[in-house]
Amino acid sequence: MPKLPGGPLARRPLHFIWIADCSGSMGYGGKIQSLNNAIREALPHMQDAAAENPNAEVMVRAVKFSSGASWHVASAVPVEQFRWDDLKASGVTDMGKALQLVAEQLDPQMMPQRALPPVLVLISDGHPTDDVSAGLRDLMAQPWGTKAVRIAIAIGDDVEKSVLQRFIGHPELEPLQANNAESLVTFIKWVSTAVLKSASSPASQAVNTDQSSNVPLPPVPDADVQVDDVW
Amino acid sequence: MNQLLNSGEKVKMLPTELTYEVEAFLGGGGQGEVYRARLAEGHGSGARVALKWFFPHYLRRDPDLRARLERAVETGPPSDRFLWPQELVQTANRPGFGYVMPLREDRFVGITDLVTRRAEPTFRALVTAGFELAHNYRQLHAKGFCYRDISFGNVFFDPENGEVRICDNDNVSVDDGKGGVIGGTVRFMAPEIVRGEAGPSTETDLFSLAVLLFYMLVNHHPLEGAREGQIRCFDLPAMTRLYGTDPLFIFNPSDTSNEPVRDVHSNALALWPIYPHFIKELFLVTFTEGLHDPNERARESQWSSELIRLHDSIFYCQGCGAENFYDPDSIGNTDGAAKGCWACSSPHRLPPRIRIGQDEVVMLNHDSLLYPHHLDEQRRYEVDKPVAEITQHPQNPQIWGLRNLSAQKWTSQNADGETNDVEPGKTVTLSSGLRIQFGSREGEVRL
Repeated sequence: MPKLPGGPLARRPLHFIWIADCSGSMGYGGKIQSLNNAIREALPHMQDAAAENPNAEVMVRAVKFSSGASWHVASAVPVEQFRWDDLKASGVTDMGKALQLVAEQLDPQMMPQRALPPVLVLISDGHPTDDVSAGLRDLMAQPWGTKAVRIAIAIGDDVEKSVLQRFIGHPELEPLQANNAESLVTFIKWVSTAVLKSASSPASQAVNTDQSSNVPLPPVPDADVQVDDVW
Repeated sequence: MNQLLNSGEKVKMLPTELTYEVEAFLGGGGQGEVYRARLAEGHGSGARVALKWFFPHYLRRDPDLRARLERAVETGPPSDRFLWPQELVQTANRPGFGYVMPLREDRFVGITDLVTRRAEPTFRALVTAGFELAHNYRQLHAKGFCYRDISFGNVFFDPENGEVRICDNDNVSVDDGKGGVIGGTVRFMAPEIVRGEAGPSTETDLFSLAVLLFYMLVNHHPLEGAREGQIRCFDLPAMTRLYGTDPLFIFNPSDTSNEPVRDVHSNALALWPIYPHFIKELFLVTFTEGLHDPNERARESQWSSELIRLHDSIFYCQGCGAENFYDPDSIGNTDGAAKGCWACSSPHRLPPRIRIGQDEVVMLNHDSLLYPHHLDEQRRYEVDKPVAEITQHPQNPQIWGLRNLSAQKWTSQNADGETNDVEPGKTVTLSSGLRIQFGSREGEVRL
């Protein structure tokens, strides 16, 4: 017999999508291994953050892009059951196609009736080789696309940052610059914990937080500056 | 993984120079990370504490933090329920600082565990936890501090007995309308803070406390009704409307446009009706007039009194054993009589009960206890050590009595006018119309 009437707190789904670059250049200098490692390391912390967040039902997916784009984890998995299979690097950088795949899933027909803002995390080390503007246009044509929290992580120096900036679509938020494996882990951990939390329950809001965006973002962590480990 | 501090790293206390060694990462938040650490040397070495170390990017945003913490350390905790900063710490080879505080024991679980029902306490433990929160925040406010961030994340309780621990006391500051960068957590912040019109204060803490108590008792947010149900994407502008510019209590009797929606807000519909009128009244005033006028919000002393009353009104259903609440304002009238057990729908059958003073009624269940709060006018809110308990007669288990656990003699008078002394350790048999003089207060028993 239950001791208390009712059930768990009503919660809304929060869709979290990794959009990962698997182009050939990610194979140089161990970048793809670092990305696999960073996401795997951050996962338990992400699961803890979700467990501490009773207002959100966190569902995770992943898209990969190289020559073309495809779903790496196609169906939205509850974060507590999410497992990361290693990405492998080869091919070109069809980022536009990846954004189109995401846009299709953010169609109101595909999304639940009521949800929290989705979180989209775009990770890239290079220049798009396809029509990225078309992908961005499709994404931003979706109401859930414009409502989404969009974070971009640039790996190394050879990234077309203006594209990532257009993806973010917020003048005050820049792509996060990961120049080594350590800072990549820091940023991946930050998006999968602090940003995740902000999207559902903006925690401990600072006085005078910028309310211009649809989700107040927590302060970005400092990247460690270590010149001996530059890609 | 890349933490702020590594295991085995040593930090030094200021100004005592005691060294703590970091043992394990416990958790991280928006401001920093918490570790378990042990005293490395000297008297009491091996003693374990919790160590919070701040993110460098947080320290830049909160320049008053250090002064605030130093003041908290100097003032000391308002009660033993606070995991209060004991001493600031720093290291030789890193910038920044942290502080040490008592370690939270494993028996405590978070309010998040309660609302997700990973922990399922009894109503008695739950209501006790609510009382402890109100009572201890009152002591914090009495010291001139405000907490600023009452929410799910920084309160823990023991599901067995309702004892609480209040964490994250680094946001606590003198209630002077400034200092600290924390405005609170969305869903818990008072509407005037959400609208950007006010900073945290004792009055805004009272709003957050009421939200937390509502979550604990009703497992729902007091402003999430039909209006929330209509929102597709629940983003910051939607939250600002719902919690700030256009808030409306879901049980506002004069405007029902934000009522809970069936199958969407099920907990609110299942739990709210089972509570007595007197506790709903405090939520009602806080979330109607108190939404717009901070002075109208229920005070902690009111919460403390009414939560003890709520605790005293618990009785067990004779059909299924579930805990139900006695409502003096509805039992007796047709509405109250129609109401049965929430779990099995059997009609209510009350146990013996005692009325003390004007309107305090305590259900005398087989496991009920009375505290100085009940029997001594001068010792209100004292509920640590019982002064009376219900006992069964050793030879005749049909006969129940009230045993005097206090050091004072009571005087009893039964319905026939017969008087007796009830010495400490002795028991008086419960009978209808029995009056007991406890010293400064008198009670009358009903069967």
